[in-house]
Amino acid sequence: MKLQQKLVLLTTLSKALMAVILLLALPWIVETLALRHTDASLRSEQQRVMRRIGQIGITSFLTEPYPNQKVHYDLLQDEFIELRHAVGTQSDTVATLPRQQHGELVDFRVLRHTFALEGQRYTVEIGKSIASVEDVYALLRSLAAYALAFAVLTTLLIELGVINYLLRPVDQIVERLRAVQGPMPAPLPPLPTTTSDFKYLDATIRRMLQKIRLVFEQEREFIANASHELLTPVSILQNRFENMLQAENLPEEAEQQIVTSQRTLHRLTATLRTLLMISRIENEQYARNDQVVVRQVLHDVVAELEDRIADENLTVDWALEGEPTIGAANGSLLFTFFYNLLSNAVKYNHTGGQIRISGQQLAGQPYTVQLFNTGKPIPAEHLPHLFERFRRAGNAHSAEGYGLGLALVRTIAQFHALRLQVASSEQGTTFTIWLPATPLSA
Amino acid sequence: MNVLIVEDDNALAQELALFLQHEHYYCDFARTGAEASEKLYVNEYDFVLLDLGLPDQDGLQLLAEARKQHNLQASIIILSARGSVDDRISGLQLGADDYLPKPYSLLELGSRMQAITRRKHGVTQETLSFGGFVINLSERSLRHGGTEVVLTRREFDLLHYLLLHRGRVLTRMQLSEHIWGNMISDRDDHDSNFIDVHMKNIRKKLGAFDTHDWIETVRGIGYRFKPTQDV
Repeated sequence: MKLQQKLVLLTTLSKALMAVILLLALPWIVETLALRHTDASLRSEQQRVMRRIGQIGITSFLTEPYPNQKVHYDLLQDEFIELRHAVGTQSDTVATLPRQQHGELVDFRVLRHTFALEGQRYTVEIGKSIASVEDVYALLRSLAAYALAFAVLTTLLIELGVINYLLRPVDQIVERLRAVQGPMPAPLPPLPTTTSDFKYLDATIRRMLQKIRLVFEQEREFIANASHELLTPVSILQNRFENMLQAENLPEEAEQQIVTSQRTLHRLTATLRTLLMISRIENEQYARNDQVVVRQVLHDVVAELEDRIADENLTVDWALEGEPTIGAANGSLLFTFFYNLLSNAVKYNHTGGQIRISGQQLAGQPYTVQLFNTGKPIPAEHLPHLFERFRRAGNAHSAEGYGLGLALVRTIAQFHALRLQVASSEQGTTFTIWLPATPLSA
Repeated sequence: MNVLIVEDDNALAQELALFLQHEHYYCDFARTGAEASEKLYVNEYDFVLLDLGLPDQDGLQLLAEARKQHNLQASIIILSARGSVDDRISGLQLGADDYLPKPYSLLELGSRMQAITRRKHGVTQETLSFGGFVINLSERSLRHGGTEVVLTRREFDLLHYLLLHRGRVLTRMQLSEHIWGNMISDRDDHDSNFIDVHMKNIRKKLGAFDTHDWIETVRGIGYRFKPTQDV
């Protein structure tokens, strides 16, 4: 899961937890608050009653026919005030008590206050029906619920936005790293962020890419220089051997040795030439000015190999749909590319085998060319290393070639942004080439 | 004919000269661009064999200068380790007559020098003959009497090359180098074995007309075109 998603999940969960706790505690909180509010209003009512008694005396309240008791209910009978002679000594209380009302017991919140006046003790009770208190509950509850929902949603949205904004550099860094295709990534501008961690990460990655670039450049330069410097001594030896062979009356044994040495030298030359070529391609020393018609170049390659194909009694099947072209390409490099692949298809085939050249354009996909041969299967463990320099598979392919043909193929593919894949089974080996969807700029 | 070898590596220049002297060329040497410029100014050469990587100057620069300033009639063959197609194109565009990437076969160089000489003197020897066979270079055909001997492209190239160096042993490597040039792939002994297959086919095709064995196998080394006494 992405960091951003995790953070969003975390925030959402914590908000949900908070909402659940608040919703569970809400009735209790509201009840407590409402009771407290009721009690406070009962007390202020009591003070008003006491003030009134102080002003007009108690007698006007206690009239016949109930000289001992006066009960007054308000219109809706939600509230009452009762004044009576006190019986015994009672302390002041506030409590929820049942009261008879129209033959039913109804809960009231009742404040009881006992006071002395003119040598008499009186008790005043002020009550408020719990039902009316509960109306306040409901109001408070819905208000609290709305406020809670609002708070949860707004903070969630704000946090999501902030998380998204803060973590944007991570996406940018990942995007940049994904964009690095070859071993020579272009230098990147610093990431626009104020977060110091990301700044640090970005700087580290850029330093790393720079280092990779440098190491690769050094390797490339070394290969180019070494190959180039070696070509002159190789030339000297080659010319010397040829001159020696021209000598009259050379003993046959000496001739044989010279020829064997020449063969070794030839191998060395081929290796050096290929290394130089790979290094030149990687140095972008080849122009990409050609528009290469794939069918044409494949025909040219097959024509080039026709003797060997005939010698091995191979059949070549064509199933190339449409007229694929590769724009902004180097024709001679692409010739070498297909030549190496098809030359391998001939070399590793069995006598009387088959080579199939097919190509098709699937909707929404780049054009694919497939080169299939009925050669011995390449073991699965060798497939991932097939295009590496000097890597030789320990099977039928071993001891032949100098392990650079397919490395060159890969380099040319990279140079032209062709995607390349190999698959091998008992039936044979298939090289699949995806042509670039859009032509490269030259 | 006079040849100027512009090459900073002494050993290579010596080997080159040894071969060329054997082929009856007169050789002169220049190790630097400056030396070469001076010699080109003073002397007349038929051929300049030019290495591009000179210590003081780029060979291509020397070439351009030579072509512009001295209006040189010499045929210039570039011999360079810089063998990429683009290098060749720029070399040829600057006025070089041919281009051989290092390392090259001396026989190949010899053949190319011969071809240039023929072109320059208008000697377009279109046909070569041996026994009853006539090989036509422009038509790329081989006839015996009035009958055409059908050869594949490779077979024709091989026979022509053997004929050019008649009497001389050519190794499989030299033949393969001539036929496939420096085509880069995982080529190996397979291709030189393939030379044998070609030779067998050529022999069979020639043998249908003539009992003389024109192509001699030199065991372990290669092949030689063996002329009959009367050729």
